Amino acid sequence: MSSLLEAEGLQAYYGKSHILHGVSLTVAEGEVVTLLGRNGAGKTTTLRAIMGLTPPREGHVRIGGVAVTGWPTHRIAQSGVGYVPEGRRMFRHLTVEENLRVPPPTQGRWSLTAIFSLFPRLAERRTSKAGRLSGGEQEMLAISRALLLNPRLLLLDEPSQGLAPVIVDEVMRAVQRMRDEGTAILLVEQNAILALAFADRAYVLSDGAITHAGPAAELAADSEKVKALAGARASRAA
Amino acid sequence: MELLLFDAFNGLIVGFFYALMALGLSLILGLNSVINFAHGGFMALGGYLAFTLVPIIGFWGALILAPFAAAALGILAERGLIRPLYGRDPLYSLLLTFGLALILEDITRTVWGAQGLPFAIPNFLNHPLNNVYFFVTGYRVFVVIVTAIATAGLFAVLRFTRLGICIRAGNADLETVASLGVNIYFLRGANFALGILLAGLAGILAAGQLGLTPTMGSSLIMPSFVAIIVGGAGSLIGSLLGGLIIGVAAGITTAYFPSASEVVIYLIMAFVLMVRPRGLLGQEGLFE
Ligand SMILES: Nc1ncnc2c1ncn2[C@@H]1O[C@H](COP(=O)(O)OP(=O)(O)O)[C@@H](O)[C@H]1O
Ligand SMILES: [Mg+2]
Repeated sequence: MSSLLEAEGLQAYYGKSHILHGVSLTVAEGEVVTLLGRNGAGKTTTLRAIMGLTPPREGHVRIGGVAVTGWPTHRIAQSGVGYVPEGRRMFRHLTVEENLRVPPPTQGRWSLTAIFSLFPRLAERRTSKAGRLSGGEQEMLAISRALLLNPRLLLLDEPSQGLAPVIVDEVMRAVQRMRDEGTAILLVEQNAILALAFADRAYVLSDGAITHAGPAAELAADSEKVKALAGARASRAA
Repeated sequence: MELLLFDAFNGLIVGFFYALMALGLSLILGLNSVINFAHGGFMALGGYLAFTLVPIIGFWGALILAPFAAAALGILAERGLIRPLYGRDPLYSLLLTFGLALILEDITRTVWGAQGLPFAIPNFLNHPLNNVYFFVTGYRVFVVIVTAIATAGLFAVLRFTRLGICIRAGNADLETVASLGVNIYFLRGANFALGILLAGLAGILAAGQLGLTPTMGSSLIMPSFVAIIVGGAGSLIGSLLGGLIIGVAAGITTAYFPSASEVVIYLIMAFVLMVRPRGLLGQEGLFE
């Protein structure tokens, strides 16, 4: 099976601190894969390495079979990767509409009209400053911005972070829509139960290395492991 | 009374030059994160290029073309010299532009000579509009109008074009702009060029008022930095306002204490920093 995303042996550093110790993972066309792990495990860094934001010092990234390692970030994005960063990173002083004009126009399913029918709330607030949106609306805007590139693969970094459960449901319904449209998704989550219910396959990252890989249902059934992941989350909240 | 008005108005006109310079410096500081000491050099270059172009294509042609010629040289400098320094300690680019300022000044001196040159403006702009307010010459009004048009044009680009929206987004978070598929190398180049375009225009306008000297850039750049600090870093309207305030204050001081006219701008800066450390319009994002 040829993969849409192949990351192989990624080694990444922030300055001198060695964060990723040979991370390998794949996402197939149309597949939903979740990357789990406790806080500080290196999940965000893995996504940043894929995007070329923290370029890996060793290892390879291939998108649709094309080696993109060392490419500038915008070319990796244009090759079909939508990135929804942790904490959403809105352009707060720009309006909703201006935020949506940042990505270069592309042909495909996701136009501004399609986005506004997926998230009617954003259409209503199109002239509001992004900084004035609620957390849920900001997450929708961050997803919309990435969707406008009509990506083949969507990287989502903790979309549920800081959102009320009802809002999380709404966001996840939208993500489900993208999956139905055939977009492959790599979902990073602290909320293991939520992510495992949604994903086809799962990886667990611990101290910058993959410690588990397998079908999501299998991991979900392993209550010990899930508890360990959820425990990390609970202890952080405490 | 007329003398005070005369000096204040003179200062206001110089303030327009500061404002154009400060706008460009502010743009470049915001997106490129470069403190561009070479800005004055590019300004002088704009004036001198216009001087050379006037006999060929006339005043109006030079007014349009010379800023673009300066911007084209700006792009070369950004590509060749500044780009390799992005992401490093800001001290590197600061030292580089400082050196570039000296080089540009020497180039103008070598090409056009160390002596000042007069810059001819169309005759009809030379006359006072009014006998009492003799200092309100057509040219000064012209400076105000051109600056207003250029500023309005800049703000329209920033507000309504995708390039401008990306510049404003990039001021806040360039990395996220890149991750959305925007070529930030191109974006930084375009933004730098936009800043130099304004500097070049300021150079031509200033040449018509003050004449051309190789040191005109270095004498206008410090007040332009002060204008940014007074207006509030990060706010373009602040830079504009800062430039005008500094110019008028220096002009008025000339009327009473001519020797203090250079010091007064630093006193204003010190006062603003004490009362309002972020500058008059700091804090706010780009034009809120
Ligand atoms: N900009 C940075 N500079 C230095 N260290 C960082 C930086 N960002 C993250 N780290 C460190 O890298 C490790 C992995 O972080 P991250 O990838 O954000 O983990 P996760 O997303 O799994 O919570 C952590 O130990 C964190 O402290
Ligand atoms: Mg993270």
